[in-house]
Amino acid sequence: MMSGMDEVFKALADPTRRQLLDELYKHDGQTLTELESRLPMSRFGVMKHLKVLEGAHLVTTQKRGREKLHFLNPVPIRLVHDRWVSKYAEPWAATLTGLKRRLEDENGEA
Amino acid sequence: MEKHEGGVALAPGDTTAVYEIYIKTTPERLWEAITDPAMRARYTFGVQVQSDWSKGSTYTSSVPGVIDISAGENLEVDPPWRLVQTMNALWSDDVKAEGTSVITWEIEQVADSCRLTVVHAQLRPDGNGEIYGGWPMILSGLKTLLETGEDLTTPGSLLYSGASA
Repeated sequence: MMSGMDEVFKALADPTRRQLLDELYKHDGQTLTELESRLPMSRFGVMKHLKVLEGAHLVTTQKRGREKLHFLNPVPIRLVHDRWVSKYAEPWAATLTGLKRRLEDENGEA
Repeated sequence: MEKHEGGVALAPGDTTAVYEIYIKTTPERLWEAITDPAMRARYTFGVQVQSDWSKGSTYTSSVPGVIDISAGENLEVDPPWRLVQTMNALWSDDVKAEGTSVITWEIEQVADSCRLTVVHAQLRPDGNGEIYGGWPMILSGLKTLLETGEDLTTPGSLLYSGASA
């Protein structure tokens, strides 16, 4: 449950659930009613998909008064990224940072 | 402002970002990693946070002598469970214009792990995403540090290494 990468991939392997994440990416912190209005789907269907997304921690909820707001939690996707990508990306970032610093130093001297 | 149990006050119309991560550690270790300058620097690209962590105290985040990142007030300090801070970003003129937001760190113990929730609230609607865009990378690095004792190499993690040289 804690590592949960299987849940993340399963949750993402469905176009409706990806669409729900798209909706939250566009406008974070929506109620079930708001999300339901954006998808051609029953309230029950949206609830079912949200439950899968919550189980994968891709969606997290906070209460505002009596409303339950749904938020996109990008952290599990970041963990997937960091597992396979980051060590390769780092030298690039370091090089670019070094390049930026050199260029700025040159500008400073000019 | 409404409150829910153990929770975060979200005001109507508030623009908020919420991040959640499970980390296999104790609440005490997690609290230390959030509040200790040296540990903090290991997953925040070299940025240190300085404060005495009393309620109502101030904090500053910076790479000393290189760049100021943010500053604010510690509104609630309840170790090792809850920390509420105001945040004024300082790293560029653009982010300075975003004004004051509020960050809530909440730690819950779940079996042998902790659930850390970071709620970044009172953001400016359609404001600059840089203000909260770094959280996934930071939290991923925090998880790696606590679970393996090692630094996570992510893009940007070397940003300020050797910058003071």
